[in-house]
Amino acid sequence: MTSLAGAPVPAPAAPAARPGPASRPGPRRTAREAALIFGRQLAVLRANPSRLLYPLIQPVVLLVLFLAIFAGLARVPGATYRQYLVPGIIVQNVALTAPTVGLGIVLDAASGITDRFRSLPIARSAVLLGRMLAESLIFAVQALLVLGVASLLGFRVATGLPGMAGIVVIAMTFGVALGITMSWLALRIHDPDTAGRALFLPMVPLTFISSTFTPIDRLAGWLQPLARANPVTAAVNLIRTLADGGPLSREPLYFAVWIAALSVVPGVLAVRRWQGGR
Amino acid sequence: MTQPMLEVAGAAKAFGKVTALSGVDLAVAPGRIAALLGPNGAGKTTLVRIVATLVRPDAGVIRVDGFDVVADPYAVRARIGLTGQYAGLDEALSGRANLMLIGRLAGLRRGTARERAAELIGRFDLAAAAGRAVGTYSGGMRRRADLAASLMARPSLLVLDEPTTGLDPAGRRQLWESLATLRDEGTTMLLTTQYLEEAERLADLVYILDQGELVASGTPAQLRARTGTQLVEARFEPASGAAAAARALAARLGLPPEHLPADPASGRLTLVARDGVGTLLAVAQALAADGIAVADLSLRGPSLDEAFLALTGQHAHREAS
Repeated sequence: MTSLAGAPVPAPAAPAARPGPASRPGPRRTAREAALIFGRQLAVLRANPSRLLYPLIQPVVLLVLFLAIFAGLARVPGATYRQYLVPGIIVQNVALTAPTVGLGIVLDAASGITDRFRSLPIARSAVLLGRMLAESLIFAVQALLVLGVASLLGFRVATGLPGMAGIVVIAMTFGVALGITMSWLALRIHDPDTAGRALFLPMVPLTFISSTFTPIDRLAGWLQPLARANPVTAAVNLIRTLADGGPLSREPLYFAVWIAALSVVPGVLAVRRWQGGR
Repeated sequence: MTQPMLEVAGAAKAFGKVTALSGVDLAVAPGRIAALLGPNGAGKTTLVRIVATLVRPDAGVIRVDGFDVVADPYAVRARIGLTGQYAGLDEALSGRANLMLIGRLAGLRRGTARERAAELIGRFDLAAAAGRAVGTYSGGMRRRADLAASLMARPSLLVLDEPTTGLDPAGRRQLWESLATLRDEGTTMLLTTQYLEEAERLADLVYILDQGELVASGTPAQLRARTGTQLVEARFEPASGAAAAARALAARLGLPPEHLPADPASGRLTLVARDGVGTLLAVAQALAADGIAVADLSLRGPSLDEAFLALTGQHAHREAS
């Protein structure tokens, strides 16, 4: 080094470009940023199509497996078991996919990219919104796949195409709502390995203690209140009613309440948590 | 007096019972480079994360270009570029796609982002790899791509957390060159490092942190003056030759033998280089005159631990970070 001690260091010229003051992004900027994150998620899938493999195989495996196992055992009043089971499989598949939404968020945080996003002047909700948008597409494709394969096996939706569209939207909505809750939980767990196990575990009782595979009054007595209060039951019953063309009564209300419960407060907490330990 | 680009007054942060920072002050004028030097657990990363709005300070005032990190985080984020310890890139996407995404999130239009990405890809020697997934990059390429990402929106303040840790010597040299060019162009930087040499090479001002406190600060030359001058280090084979060489050198240079400590295990002896290269040459001549073969002879700066010892009278605390 040259003898700099005490001598002032000459100050070079300041950089030319300097952004103006930035404030918290409004809805328009938030939407633009969420769209960019949505684009990122799609680009990741495009660069790595194998990531779509399991999300697309899983619903078909579930459908064929449970139909084969339970069709001979189960009897349900007023319908074939196939007709009864398919709505349950659509929802079970959503519930088993939702943990991967949280896992993706934990993996981002474990790499440096979440810190990078947090240091950018973007809306706190943009990254989570963009991710949910991309995940909703996967939930929709999965639901269409189950409906397609099930139709080949003889499953019928009495309400026709509008009913099918409704079923896909219900699956998407339920998936995103569960995904939001999973994201919030995921942001409290730093280790991807732990997150994987912790997020998947609740899905087993959640899908089995419900009306997914059997009418609730056939379950053991102590399980029945749990099954009635289960969000999976709310989603399955709504889809089942649409598929059977039965009159809707309280199903849409129960479903809407669960969607709100799984997305509003957990969503606010997740967004807050995402910005980090500030 | 111009407003500092970065102003830190009384910054304090504790995580539970662990004090990460207690009352750190520093200021970086526009166009200058400040280095935070210290061992693991010194609080360097915490300070960087506070400046980058990732961690909220418990106390103190921290301003970037006049904007408070707590009150105006969005204004601060619009002015900084962060290169963290872990590359802030999506490994599944190409280098170019990463730069585009980060540039556009920072508010650039598509066309502007494309031009800027192309410019930085050329500048950081990433042209051949720009279309490849970042996951396939070497450590050095990843750091350069990460640095390029931090520069997409032309930040007023570039914040770098241990930018060369984990790089091989070639990768480190290349990154130093990139940072030196940015410095020459007038980019203001705050960087952390565990390497005295890195701080000396890049920084106008060095702040030495230990256990969350500032223990010394100054220009590299000022710190150099306080940490003692450089050392001449000679290595002999076999190692037992070091003691004999030390005696011969002491006699020839007219120095007391204790000025030439020799380590019989490694075969190394060291001597404070009062005349810098002059001392190195004198040692070389003295060894040649006595016909003593030397395996290695070099002039080196003090290690971080030696510098700590000189500045604080104690060894650097080494903790798990």
